[in-house]
Order: sequence, then C-alpha cells, then structure tokens
Amino acid sequence: MLLPTFVLVLFINLYPLVRGGVISFQRLTAFNLNRPRFVGLDNYRSVLGDPSFWTLLFNTVIWIAFSVFFQLLFGFILALLLTKPFKGRGLYMGLVFYPWALSGFAIGLLWSWILNGQFGILNDILMRLHLIGKPISFLSDPKFAMFSVIAINVWYGIPFFAIMLLAALQSIPKELYEAAQIDGAGMWSKLIRITIPYVKPTIFSTVLLRIIWVMNFPDIIYGTTRGGPAGATNILSVQMINIVYYQNNFGKASALGMIITSILLVFSIVYLTITEKGVFEL
Amino acid sequence: MKGRKLLLALRITGLSIYLFVAVFPLFWIVMTSLKPVSEVYTFPIRYLPSRITFDAYKYLFSFARFHVYFRNSFVVATVSALFSTFFSLMSGYVLARFDFRLRHFLLLTLFFVQMLPTYLLMIPQFTMFSRLKLTNTLLSIVVVYTGFGVAFGTIMSRAFFKSLPKEIEEAAWIDGCTRFGALVRVIVPVFLPNIGAIFSFCFVNSWNEVFTAVLFLHSDSKMTVPVALYSFVSKAGIQWNVMAAGIVIALLPTVLIFAIAQKYIVEGLTQGALKG
Repeated sequence: MLLPTFVLVLFINLYPLVRGGVISFQRLTAFNLNRPRFVGLDNYRSVLGDPSFWTLLFNTVIWIAFSVFFQLLFGFILALLLTKPFKGRGLYMGLVFYPWALSGFAIGLLWSWILNGQFGILNDILMRLHLIGKPISFLSDPKFAMFSVIAINVWYGIPFFAIMLLAALQSIPKELYEAAQIDGAGMWSKLIRITIPYVKPTIFSTVLLRIIWVMNFPDIIYGTTRGGPAGATNILSVQMINIVYYQNNFGKASALGMIITSILLVFSIVYLTITEKGVFEL
Repeated sequence: MKGRKLLLALRITGLSIYLFVAVFPLFWIVMTSLKPVSEVYTFPIRYLPSRITFDAYKYLFSFARFHVYFRNSFVVATVSALFSTFFSLMSGYVLARFDFRLRHFLLLTLFFVQMLPTYLLMIPQFTMFSRLKLTNTLLSIVVVYTGFGVAFGTIMSRAFFKSLPKEIEEAAWIDGCTRFGALVRVIVPVFLPNIGAIFSFCFVNSWNEVFTAVLFLHSDSKMTVPVALYSFVSKAGIQWNVMAAGIVIALLPTVLIFAIAQKYIVEGLTQGALKG
C-alpha cells in the first residue's frame, strides 16, 4: 500500500535532489545533456563570486520578510473579523478566500494589467481621486517594483493565513473568554492574554510554512517583472529560473538551487529549535 | 454599549473593504476580456464596455489554439490528481493505522519533500526523462505532478484517517468484513468529501504549475495553459483583451473547484498542516 507513494517520492523528489547535487558540480547545459563534465566547485564559485549574489540575497530577504509579515497581519485581522458567525459568512469566505487556489503566474499577469503604467486601472483611480498627478510605472520603475510585487504577494497570501488562523481561533474554548469577562477584562487584554497565546503555535507553524513557500515562489514575480527592472525584483529563485531558461546552464542553476535548499534547511532547523518543537507533532 | 456599536461598524467596514480588494481584480480581468479592443487602451479608463464582445475568446480558441492547451491541461491535471489521490489514500491509511519501525522516518520524508524547490528538481527530472526520450510528452509531466501530489496528499489523508474513530472500522470487521472490505464499504463513503478535497488540492496544484511545464513541453501540440500564457508574454502583438481572456481561462477551473470544494479543502489543509 505504501509502495506507489514512496516509489514516486523517491524518483520524483529525492533522487532528483541527489542528482541536483551532483549536477551542481558538473558543467551541464542544454547542449551537452548526455556528456556532463565534472568541474568541481566552478559553478558555486561563479554563483557566489557574482557581486550581484548579495543583492539577490538581500532582495530575497526583503521579499520574504515583508510578504509574510503583512500576510500574517492582514490574515490575522481578517480571521478575527470572521470568528463570530454572521449571516452569509460562508458565502463571504467563499468570495474572499478564492485567490488561494489560483495560479500565481496568472495572478502576476493579472496584476501587471491592473498596475500597468499607461492603461492600468490603479493609476486611473488614484488620478481621479487626485492622489497622484501623473501615472506611476508601478512595475517598471525600480523605485516601486519591489513594493508592487510584494503587495501582490500579500494580496495572494492573506487567505492562507486567514484560513489557518480562523481554524485556530474557533478552537479557543469560549469559557476562557467568559471567565475573563467576569474578571472585568477588556477587549485588548482578552486579545493579548487569551487569543494570541492560544493561537501562537498556529502562527509559528504557519509562518514557517509560508517562509519556505514564499522563498520557493517565483510565480508572481515571473508573471510581472521576471526580476526586472534592472534586477530590482530579482530574488534567488527567479534568478535560478532565468539561468535555466535564458542561459540553459543547468550546472550553475543547480548550484544556486542547492544553495537555496541549504539556506531553507538550516533556517527551518534553527526556527524549529527556537520556537517550540511541538509545533509539528508527528 | 457604545463601544460595541463602534466595533460592529469597524467590523463591517473592514469586511467590506477586503471584499472589494479581493474580488475587484478578478472582476476587472473578466471586464477587460469582454471589451472591444478599441476600448482596452484608453486613458482615463472606460470602466464598462460599450458592448460586450467575445472576440477575445474567439481569437483564443481559433487562432491561438487554446482548445488544445486547455485539453492538455485538463488531461494532465485530472490524471495526475486521480493517481495522487488513490495512492495517497492507500499510504495515508497505512501511516495512520499501523505502527511500524519506518513510520516516523517516512513521515519526516514527506514533510522534508515539501521544502524542496520544484524548480531545482526540474533539472534532474528533465535529464532523467530526456534519457528515457520522454521529454515533451504529457506523460512525463503527469508523472512529475503525481510525484508532487502524493507527498502532500498523503499528509492530508493520514490526518483524515486519524480523525476517524477506529471503532467504526472495527464494527465492520465484526460484521464479517475483511479489512479491505471495511475500507471500501465503510470508510470510503464517510470520506467522500475528504477524498474530494485531496483530489481538488492535487488538481489545482497541477493545473497551476508553470516552470516544469515550460522546461519540459516545447511543441505547440503539447503545451498546457500556463505554458501558452508564458509564450504569450514574449510574443509581440498580443492585445490585452486576448491576454485577459487567456488569464480568465487559466483561472476559471480552479475558481470553480474552489467554489465547490472550499469547505473540505480548508478542513484538509488545516488538519494536514497542523496536526501533522
């Protein structure tokens, strides 16, 4: 019964990981697919020696930190607003949670039309409200580009946090609030003393899942800027795909991929050690 | 009492604003896809089209051959989701019900696999399948997606099985069912919504996958919808109403699936991820 699943996991996930490690030490391009050549650490040298690597890393940290922080913040607020049942809540959740199921790449394309510098509706609205004098090139101006793709990612990620936190909020025993009520606790102290401690494990685990996921999520950036303009939105994962698609340099791309995977692995271990380990009980 | 009213007002305002922010982008892309091309490129913008036209969709399904891409995507997502669901139910059941030495290790493996970037794995997968002369086939992409699907599917189905009391199953054994008979006759019917959730989850992920597909599929007759959209971006002369129609086609199936299976997907997601 276990065989099909684990044979697939072995051949589609684990073996390619090992192969990826091997390829990262090889010179392998689309043109010598069957004749790879061992080149030692050359690929790693070429990735880490590139002065733009540190910019990529910095961009990646900004991308993750701001995306996840605002997804969490707005997701938490939304979950709080939805905790108490009201008429039509099910319909409302269906209407607002849908972005979760959508293709990140298509969402990137969709927003690049909304944020279009010439014919975008956001510029139109902002100008009609006299908030700006002339259209902003949200995605092609290096000053705005990173901010814009993060905003799209926040929009895309709010539902996931809201779903997770809502489930946790609804599992808080009502007696806790009633007891606090009797003790004369106000809104804030209830939120800080009961709600947040109770959902803390969910916050920790969801944040970790999201950090991993957002780091491995080049889709939105690929649908909007592909890392541009002038590298302003280039993050590690996007760069890796660019190396595969445009340079066809599989060896170098694998080296970068292994670096990304190692960063994630180390980060997850540290994260799980610092927060309570019991978050993911097996 | 006054505080409570203020709170209610805040709550309604907050929910209304978010409803607008969540729904408007989808509304706008549908609107754009229904506009005549002359009304797409105007500024200030014309919010509602003077007339609704399906020209963009006609173009998409005739000149741009989207019927082929749509069919490919549909076949790939359906077949891989079917296999993923079936395999995950089998392995999830075993991992939930039996205690054996490797169990902990296998579970850890499933969680570990979630962390691997698919765009790293796609290179070795590409070399593997090209050695088998299988790149540029839908089969290769189905196998890859099934491999991704079973890992999370198993995590989800194990959580479902764990939440179901053993006694239901045991009662069936006493009534003379074999273990497998009990599984098929008792558990599967109870689990139908959950099975649907796993299927939807796998379908959505396969339908949305773009990077592996772009690397694997290059001939026109093999492309999936995301690959076609990807090639649109670099093609000059694609009008935005056509692009918008393509985006709508890419989003529509998963929006529908989400509308139908939302409740169960959400349940499966929270159980699978939190209770491990």
